[in-house]
Amino acid sequence: MKNRIRVLRAEREMTQEELAALVGVTRNTIISMEKNKYCPSLKLAYRIARTFDVGIDDVFMYEEDVDGPAGDDEA
Amino acid sequence: MKRLTYLACTLAVSLLVAAMIGWSVAAGNFLVPVIAIPLGIVVVLACRRNVQEVIGDERLSKVRSKAALRTLEVAVIAGAIAAVILYSFIISESLSPKITGSVYLNDDGTSSMVISLYRPGGGETRENLIRSVTIPDINSMNEAEALIYYQFRREAFLENERNGIAGMTIGASLAALLATFGAFYLYYDRKY
Repeated sequence: MKNRIRVLRAEREMTQEELAALVGVTRNTIISMEKNKYCPSLKLAYRIARTFDVGIDDVFMYEEDVDGPAGDDEA
Repeated sequence: MKRLTYLACTLAVSLLVAAMIGWSVAAGNFLVPVIAIPLGIVVVLACRRNVQEVIGDERLSKVRSKAALRTLEVAVIAGAIAAVILYSFIISESLSPKITGSVYLNDDGTSSMVISLYRPGGGETRENLIRSVTIPDINSMNEAEALIYYQFRREAFLENERNGIAGMTIGASLAALLATFGAFYLYYDRKY
């Protein structure tokens, strides 16, 4: 699942550390999400979207070929 | 308090409590663990409460659960192999030393017995002989000679028995580990 966390963070001049503290995760989790290596839970996804004051679809993009049943579930 | 300080504090408290339990068991003082364990838990929880950084999140939980599952898989496979190999020292003839007894008729009419111990897997040759013991008169074997024979036999199979016990211990530990995993699996399966 792709995301726009890095872009949204840059627009608001927010550091990874600050975002991590706001949504209650470690900085490593933010780094992993920005690299598309970790797919967050629905709860965390909502927290991130609300922190940026946007909808969840504006942060995370579901891709059928990657995130669908035949895709890799790890990312 | 920083996360690293908290981890260092937890490690130090754990080591201290473990050392105190070890000492109390060795000294026969069983009151110490009763005080040390709850005290250790209280100290760790107090340290945890003072941590300003995020200690754990969902990604860390996922990483830990995956690492634990892989560890369990590797431990079960490696442990099962080790348990079977070690236990075969008890049941396999080719891995056990061979003991033979030869009866000789003496000139005075008595019978003596030479009991020999040979290396595992080899034939009954002089090269494979580890040691032997002779009972001068098997019809009038005294207590001392019986004890020597008993010791001889016991020492011959001691290493095999140790390996077998180690194998059984590993096997039992694996069974306990799998049973614990099964219990937690059922618990969380019902919970979610």
